[in-house]
Amino acid sequence: MKKDERIGCGIVFLFGGITALLSLRMPIGTFRMAGSGLFPLCLGILLMLLSLLLLLNRLFAKSSSPRKPEVATPADIAMKQMLLFLGASALATLCLNVLGYPLTAFLLTVMLFRILGIQRPVLLMLVPLLIAAASYLLFIQFLKIPLPRGFIGL
Amino acid sequence: MVESIQHLFTGFGIAATVANLLYCLLGAVAGTLVGILPGLGPIAGIALLIPITFGLSPTSAIIMLCGIYYGAMYGGSTTSILLNVPGETASVITCIDGYQMAQKGKAGPALAICAIGSFTAGTLAIIGMVFLAPPLAQAALAFGPPEYFSLMVCGFIVLSNVTGGSLLKSLMMAVVGLIIGTVGLDPVTGDYRFTFDATYLLGGIEFVAVAIGLFGIAEVLANVDQPLESLEQSVIVPRFRDLFPSLQDLKKSVGAILRGSAIGFGVGLVPGPAPVIATYTSYMTEKRISRHPEDFGKGAIEGVAGPESANNAACQSAFIPLFVLGIPFAPPTAILLGALMIHGVVPGPMMISEHPDVFWGVIASMYIGNFILLLLNLPFVPFFASILRIPKKILLPLVMLFCITGMYTVNNSINDIWLMLLMGVLGYVMRKWAYDAAPLLLALVIGPKMEVAFRQSLMISHGDFGVFIERPFSLVFLVVTFLFLLMPAFRFIIGRFNRRPA
Repeated sequence: MKKDERIGCGIVFLFGGITALLSLRMPIGTFRMAGSGLFPLCLGILLMLLSLLLLLNRLFAKSSSPRKPEVATPADIAMKQMLLFLGASALATLCLNVLGYPLTAFLLTVMLFRILGIQRPVLLMLVPLLIAAASYLLFIQFLKIPLPRGFIGL
Repeated sequence: MVESIQHLFTGFGIAATVANLLYCLLGAVAGTLVGILPGLGPIAGIALLIPITFGLSPTSAIIMLCGIYYGAMYGGSTTSILLNVPGETASVITCIDGYQMAQKGKAGPALAICAIGSFTAGTLAIIGMVFLAPPLAQAALAFGPPEYFSLMVCGFIVLSNVTGGSLLKSLMMAVVGLIIGTVGLDPVTGDYRFTFDATYLLGGIEFVAVAIGLFGIAEVLANVDQPLESLEQSVIVPRFRDLFPSLQDLKKSVGAILRGSAIGFGVGLVPGPAPVIATYTSYMTEKRISRHPEDFGKGAIEGVAGPESANNAACQSAFIPLFVLGIPFAPPTAILLGALMIHGVVPGPMMISEHPDVFWGVIASMYIGNFILLLLNLPFVPFFASILRIPKKILLPLVMLFCITGMYTVNNSINDIWLMLLMGVLGYVMRKWAYDAAPLLLALVIGPKMEVAFRQSLMISHGDFGVFIERPFSLVFLVVTFLFLLMPAFRFIIGRFNRRPA
């Protein structure tokens, strides 16, 4: 059984367990007059059972079928690139209210372009500038959507 | 029947206003654009574009979103044929013969047959809808909470069984979706659940954030998690003069289109990812009855015409359970249900009488939308395909920016963006570990309804679970559920039997 499968099962089992525990703090009631905790309690227990079943299923499959070589996850540049991409998006979300939408859109696009390997300065600056200007005009000026204005006030 | 036709004409009056025609056109164009972008299917497309409809009336909003849905289904075929990259799962079958046709220089006829087949199937399905939806809505009035609960359980099991992955994993994801759906206000007692004193969670989990995160952001992250070289791509764009099929192609396709339409319409009415099942069934049927089954897989035009027609017919008829029962049987209609509710329209047996403008307006708009799509797809395919020339390294940042902007506009909340990003990471991890996100989303949308039906059933029966098997319709749904649960065991036994030497 792959390590990933075990971790996945474990996380889902834990999620089901925590749900069931938290549900017990709510009124459970009876089947005739169910309280707010009954449905999530049933779901939590069901999830734990399903994840255990999957774990057993995979363990059983291991003993009956020939072992396949585990696919090594390439701890590679692509994964780092994805994490940087996600980090840049999170940073932009964090700064959205302070910097305002147009500036954030520009900086986010520059960062994402850079992460994806665009290096030519003209492309790296001009395209994000055009995208930020177009989205500003579309969302704020044309569609009148109240996006954060930030310290610039645009 | 006469009444239905009268209502349909009223619907055409509503759908044919300048504003609604414009929204239908916009939806169809946006959907086609979304459909031809590899990876961005109708689910992500509708989810991403829901915020744009917030300022519109419910009728206009749903007309536009439906346009996006069937536009995306049309557009998905383009990348299947040109690049062997299905825009969405229902287009996977189209890849088999469509791409082979393109390789032989027949991309034009393949794309044109897709458009003609989809238009014909869509038209026939709409006629079916007009006559079938009102009597079904009448029948649905006899449904009580036990029937609804059993039907929803049946829908989950069927969906989990046919998505192709592990049944256990799909069921687990459905339960996770149901749990996430319990966050916020208890629909029966009004108690708060799993809110942890956070004001943001009092109203429940924002479904648009989950939808964009699990599908849109996860798709972007999965694309970014590739070597830089693969983010560059090239495409074969057909010329205008190469677009039209010969008379012989059309003759070969007529039967396949009609059969595909009938199969698609029937499959769309039952729980499950209708377009996927419909395309597979249609392809297998065409191959079985063909005089030259050996041509399938090598560029048989029937292998494109049948599945594409089935795909479109199933998409249209899937609106019947959505509108008359209020239960979506597939993820795109689940998102449409969410959108309907955001706009204050609650689908169900009473929708036809309470919101006739929305119901008949949308049905009429589907016909108009089909016509618009035929006009768009035939001459403008080379133009749409040219979008594929934009390298992914420019497209992906744009999609991310659009997701963040779109998510903020839903509630003007930064927290929604955080939730979307979190769901994006979850969706990415789920892909890596082969967990299907569709059951989770479906469960999140219909979870609250399911819980209410479950609790009301037990209240009616004074806590007796027998209520679910004592009522005939409910029993039928549970028997179907049970059979689907046993399906993996049947497959295993049949597989062992077939492997046994004679």
